Amino acid sequence: MRRILRFALALLRELGDENAYRRHLAMHGRAHSGAEWRRFSEERMRAKYARAKCC
Amino acid sequence: MWAAVAIAAGIGLGGIALYRGEHINSLWLVLAAACSYATAYRFYGKFISARVMLLNDERATPAERLRNGHDFEPTNKWIVFGHHFAAIAGPGPLVGPVLAAQFGYLPGTLWIIIGACLGGAVQDFVILFASMRRDGKSLGQMAREEIGKVGGFIALVTVLLIMVILLAVVGLVVVNALKGSPWGTFTIAATMPIAVFMGLYLRYWRPGKVLECSGLGFVLVMASIFAGRSVGESASLAPVFTLSAITLAIGIILYGFLASALPVWLLLAPRDYLSTFVKLGVVMMLAIGILFVRPELQLPAFTRFTDGNGPIFAGKVFPFCFITIACGAISGFHSLISSGTTPKMIAKEWHAWPVGYGSMLLESFVAIMAMIAACVLQPGVYFAVNSPAGVVGATPAAAVATISAWGFPVTVAEMSALAQNVGEQTLFSRTGGAPSLALGMAHIFASSGGGQAVIGFWYHFAIMFEALFILTIIDAGTRVGRFMLQDLLGHISPPLGRTSWMPGVIATSAMVVAAWGYFLVQGVRDPLGGINSLWPLFGISNQLLASIALCVATTILLKMHGAKFMWITCAPLAWLLSATFTAAWQKIFSPIPAVGFLAQADRMEAALRGGTAGNVADTQTLIFNARLDAAICGIFMVLVAVILVDSIRIWVGILSGSGDRRVHEAPFVSSRLQAEEL
Repeated sequence: MRRILRFALALLRELGDENAYRRHLAMHGRAHSGAEWRRFSEERMRAKYARAKCC
Repeated sequence: MWAAVAIAAGIGLGGIALYRGEHINSLWLVLAAACSYATAYRFYGKFISARVMLLNDERATPAERLRNGHDFEPTNKWIVFGHHFAAIAGPGPLVGPVLAAQFGYLPGTLWIIIGACLGGAVQDFVILFASMRRDGKSLGQMAREEIGKVGGFIALVTVLLIMVILLAVVGLVVVNALKGSPWGTFTIAATMPIAVFMGLYLRYWRPGKVLECSGLGFVLVMASIFAGRSVGESASLAPVFTLSAITLAIGIILYGFLASALPVWLLLAPRDYLSTFVKLGVVMMLAIGILFVRPELQLPAFTRFTDGNGPIFAGKVFPFCFITIACGAISGFHSLISSGTTPKMIAKEWHAWPVGYGSMLLESFVAIMAMIAACVLQPGVYFAVNSPAGVVGATPAAAVATISAWGFPVTVAEMSALAQNVGEQTLFSRTGGAPSLALGMAHIFASSGGGQAVIGFWYHFAIMFEALFILTIIDAGTRVGRFMLQDLLGHISPPLGRTSWMPGVIATSAMVVAAWGYFLVQGVRDPLGGINSLWPLFGISNQLLASIALCVATTILLKMHGAKFMWITCAPLAWLLSATFTAAWQKIFSPIPAVGFLAQADRMEAALRGGTAGNVADTQTLIFNARLDAAICGIFMVLVAVILVDSIRIWVGILSGSGDRRVHEAPFVSSRLQAEEL
């Protein structure tokens, strides 16, 4: 049960871009801040919404 | 064990195919589907992985080689599975089966199961594999490399055209679900300020807290469903939110334009997060609900409408069942996802098997659940909700008389009581599939607990769930269409190609919105309800894109193995081409006006000449629209015929030894990724 919940949370974090944000911070050696999130999410969303959503 | 599963699949399929008793329990469909998927996954999927694709975990994937922390990132295979499933699951697998249920539960169910195992999952898997071996290249890029420049260009144009039809048809589904429904309209209208609030929350107040923000958004949306009941019952507020179809259509068109031009973080992204989470939650809830309630199917295995005279859409079971259900069985759109984000996240080559093949099987199971939700309704109720007034009559008395005469008894009192229970003014002629799906889902959820007291809440919850991700598709699709158009127009006028130049953004957004908005208004004004013409057009375009994807896949398999394994993609391709070209041909040239666009135009023109047409201007518009639809259908056929001929030319060259057999895979690099890193 705990494994399932852990997986569900990890999936939600991936779908919600929270994991990607953590990777971004780790990769660039930066600390979390509002400005950093805005920089990350703008770049992320530009790529994400350049693709069509499935029917 | 696998022999037992395969036998259970056979018993399940045989059971639903041969049983002709009073009613069949939905568990038979679940058993047939689940065991067929398990068998196909274990044997056919594994065969393709091991013998055809020669998947190799020692070979580094693009996620490992090109790792950048953004797009390219090796990810746990079940996370990628969930990610890919969330990306491919849209309204298609929910709405298509509901519409195809007019033939009875059997044709659609068999097509969903067999089509997914042998066609849809194969297409998604092979394209994912091909893209993974080519550094995550898109379908268009692969078509250009493997088939030629013509293939790449045609793939681009087809996608743009499909987007226009897709946005119009999903817009129509929302319009038909919300027209004359103050409760539903209020709830959906409330999601917009909620999304803006979420956008501001995430950007300025709690940056990066996506799950927290989405949880808050979900609570607010649920509150808006509860508040919607009071709005619907309020003498002063109900009229404000009781909108006609054309007003709603104009509202959605304006919304699409604004959402396309507004910053993504403000409206689109927060609602996209919320709709993705709600979508996954509802799919799980529906699966649990079906297993818990085990409802009996009320619709028969076959209805009289297999002969082509169906009220929801005209045309015989072949080919129209096979283009009406696309996303649950095989969908060309999936090839864009399989060659988009997913191949850049695959950590080990063997992960492509569950992700590519397995996700499509789960999507197919969603379609089976939608079929069950539609078929648990009484047939009379199902046809009363889904049949347009132009077919069954504009008054409730006329509609029930027509539907009862078909052998599906229903009464005005029954429909009024049902409408009252779910908090609607009427449920007659609510075409588009969404209201009947919501009714079926509400029936299943309410039977799990709460009964009739909560059915209204569940109905509007289901409508909210459908509208939420349809609106996300509309604004994301308009934005993508705008990018494509800007890319194209940038060659003529460079400023128009700049995504930061506001006049260009506004002009191209307006052009894209005008294109799909035209078809949406056309659907709203159509006396046959719009779905009759637009859904087949969407199905044809989507299946033709799948044909393009299968042409690319066949070319790749031919280059890898010669003719040995080309049947794997050629068999679904041959079936798809025969069904889709037949459907497209009939939609253009059938002499039956309910089926053929040109016959429809001719009949209206004759009425115009004979002076029997109601409104001259309206009739002229309808004639133009029917001819436009015929032209669009013809363009799709020509585009795919060109790419097919081009592909066959390449295939003949490869088989005769004169053609280029080079595969354009990235060179082999040994993987250093350890399993525990994932």
